[in-house]
Amino acid sequence: MLAGGLIFLTVTAPQDAFSVMLTGASNAVELALSLFAVYAVWLSVLEIMDKAGISKAVNRLFSPLWKKFFKGENDKALEYISLNFSANLLGMGSAATPMGIKAMEQMSKGGEKASDNMILFLVFNATSIQLIPATVIGMRAEAGSGNAADIILPSLIATLISTVTGVVLAKICAKISGGGKKLPLSKG
Amino acid sequence: MSAYILPLFILAVIVVGFCKRVPVYGSFVAGVKGSLELLMSIMPYFTVILIAVELFAVSGLGGKLEELLTPLFNALGIPAELTQLVIIRPLSGNGSIAMLQTLMDKYGADSYIVRCGSVIVGASETTFYVATIYFSTVKEKKLRYAIPVCLIASLTGAVAACALCRVM
Repeated sequence: MLAGGLIFLTVTAPQDAFSVMLTGASNAVELALSLFAVYAVWLSVLEIMDKAGISKAVNRLFSPLWKKFFKGENDKALEYISLNFSANLLGMGSAATPMGIKAMEQMSKGGEKASDNMILFLVFNATSIQLIPATVIGMRAEAGSGNAADIILPSLIATLISTVTGVVLAKICAKISGGGKKLPLSKG
Repeated sequence: MSAYILPLFILAVIVVGFCKRVPVYGSFVAGVKGSLELLMSIMPYFTVILIAVELFAVSGLGGKLEELLTPLFNALGIPAELTQLVIIRPLSGNGSIAMLQTLMDKYGADSYIVRCGSVIVGASETTFYVATIYFSTVKEKKLRYAIPVCLIASLTGAVAACALCRVM
């Protein structure tokens, strides 16, 4: 994508290429600052949750479910997975990310290729599992919608459909690839 | 109501922490330290992604992809007005929010287009960003079938969104 965009831009508007790259990089700086703020708060809360045993309690609630999906992962990984999902469901996406990273670190075996469990976990997170899309509802309310919240139900069904599709596809790919040799064709 | 969830949750965690004699101040300092380290390890990755996204959008490559995909998306029931949004959604969170805002200004918050767009944005994630961040601190960099699966799943969600908004 980087090379493709650059080639395209060099052909169409070479004078803009460099400034566009700088815009992208400065977007990253902005994002970094806001991420730092968010992670600083959530990793601190997570630290307290870990030490106070709250993480373990959340895990006890969900671990039967996640043990089925993520076979062979250790308790610490399942704990972070449970926290990540709970945060996602409650719409605390910013809290879910640092917990998700920690879950990935626990699942990592240090090889080159991502394991099936790691990919499955990514699929859950990349297809979104939140109950109430608060940002979008807020935007619609501000734009003068008569019933800003009427998208909750369709969103819930749509996200369920995408997550189920993703999980089923991931499971199928895991079966087919075995060791993971070839990528399936993408139509997206 | 939802405004209370976050502060109450954090307050509850801190209260439980106090009751269990967890060093709350020390934990906060450790958390901030951890977030600095985390940021250092993930920032190089999302910087490259954001540069690529910017190039993709401005260069006209995005426009070409849009032309290419519109007929396919149309056949799947996604209106042409939303093709760009569906393409940008997995790439950039801010970008898709901005685009949704433009659609709202143009078509009105209660139009079919905007309701569809809202469901598409609300029911999906910034796939490339999530993939980059989640895999930034581990050694595994070959994601095998992960990205195609995520994109097909998101597209299925978008198709479902457009169908659902017709009847709901």
